[in-house]
Amino acid sequence: MKQLASISLRLALICAVAAAVLALINSVTAPQIEYNREQRLLQALQEVSGDYEIGDAEETDAEKITARYPLSDQEGNLAGYTLRILASGYAGEMVLMAGYRLDGTVITARLLDNEETPGLGKEAEEPSYMEKFEGTGGDQRPVPQRKHELSEAQADGVTGSTITFSGIGEGIHAGSRYVAELGGEDE
Amino acid sequence: MNKEFTKGLVKDNPIFVQLLGLCPALGVSGLVVNALGMGAGVIFVMLGANIFVSLLKNFIPQKVRIPSYIVIIASFVTIVQMVMEAFAPELYNNLGVFVPLIVVNCAILGRAEAFASRNTLKDSVLDALGMGIGFTLGLTLIALVREILGAGTITLFAMGGFDGVIRIPILHLAPVRIFSLASGALLAIGLLLALFNWKSSAKRG
Repeated sequence: MKQLASISLRLALICAVAAAVLALINSVTAPQIEYNREQRLLQALQEVSGDYEIGDAEETDAEKITARYPLSDQEGNLAGYTLRILASGYAGEMVLMAGYRLDGTVITARLLDNEETPGLGKEAEEPSYMEKFEGTGGDQRPVPQRKHELSEAQADGVTGSTITFSGIGEGIHAGSRYVAELGGEDE
Repeated sequence: MNKEFTKGLVKDNPIFVQLLGLCPALGVSGLVVNALGMGAGVIFVMLGANIFVSLLKNFIPQKVRIPSYIVIIASFVTIVQMVMEAFAPELYNNLGVFVPLIVVNCAILGRAEAFASRNTLKDSVLDALGMGIGFTLGLTLIALVREILGAGTITLFAMGGFDGVIRIPILHLAPVRIFSLASGALLAIGLLLALFNWKSSAKRG
């Protein structure tokens, strides 16, 4: 019994010291981690929202759209929305940030958190990757969701990562429909 | 040089000789920069674990030695994870799930159990440095083969005007994509292991 108590006490002491050290380091790193997250989000928000003013985040009831930011023009009129969208990639869930005009036309988009393959799907993090979606989503040009809907040059750029491309296309398309259905009206 | 340090570099290399830590060797060897980052993380954790296991070898009860080692290793891994996420977020994002998985890297637990728990602090430090650097060298070698063949690039840390990516002429335009994929990792490790075995058997005559 005494031996068991001694063993338990020693193990508990090791755990307590480890927890104390981790708490100390967490108190230093946690504010920096939160700051990094905010900066990444702010940068993506500004990049995808064109020249519009960005409003505060609002919750949505759409399953894959986790937040929306209303965009307004210089006169203060509602001009569109930027959405935070969850999409399915080759290696799991991806987080997209995409800006839209009121008719659902894509301003541009950025791929944020993802686990795609470096050198293949990960290439979608490059801002130039999203050029193929810009200006789509209106009545004239649907959002491309499959490789065969792209021009030959654009299709070459997604060779080897068509699942990533389709996931991003479907996510951006869902966002476009969501904004178009809102029709410029706040819910 | 001290044999406790040099043995881990080539003779008892964790990846190519002991075949330990193959999970990260397969998972994060797509880019050279990721291999170097993971290697630095493993060296830090292995060094911390070996130091504390060696110092506490008479305090840790035999019956709970493995849980104790795991607590020590997991603490160092969590430190690496928090510091990397705070101060090297891009590297942290690239390494993904493999940072917390350093906890179960058997090369680290293996050294704590097989060496640090039975040897002096000085020898344990040298062993951790040698094995950690050996692991990093092995991982970087696999990453070099995979990235050069699979993407035609060598990705290092960006500095000033240098974006961190060295592009290999011609190969960059038409790389052998399979080496970027998971199957390419198995292929590259298999070929390097065969080369390692061939060299060692040739040495033995």
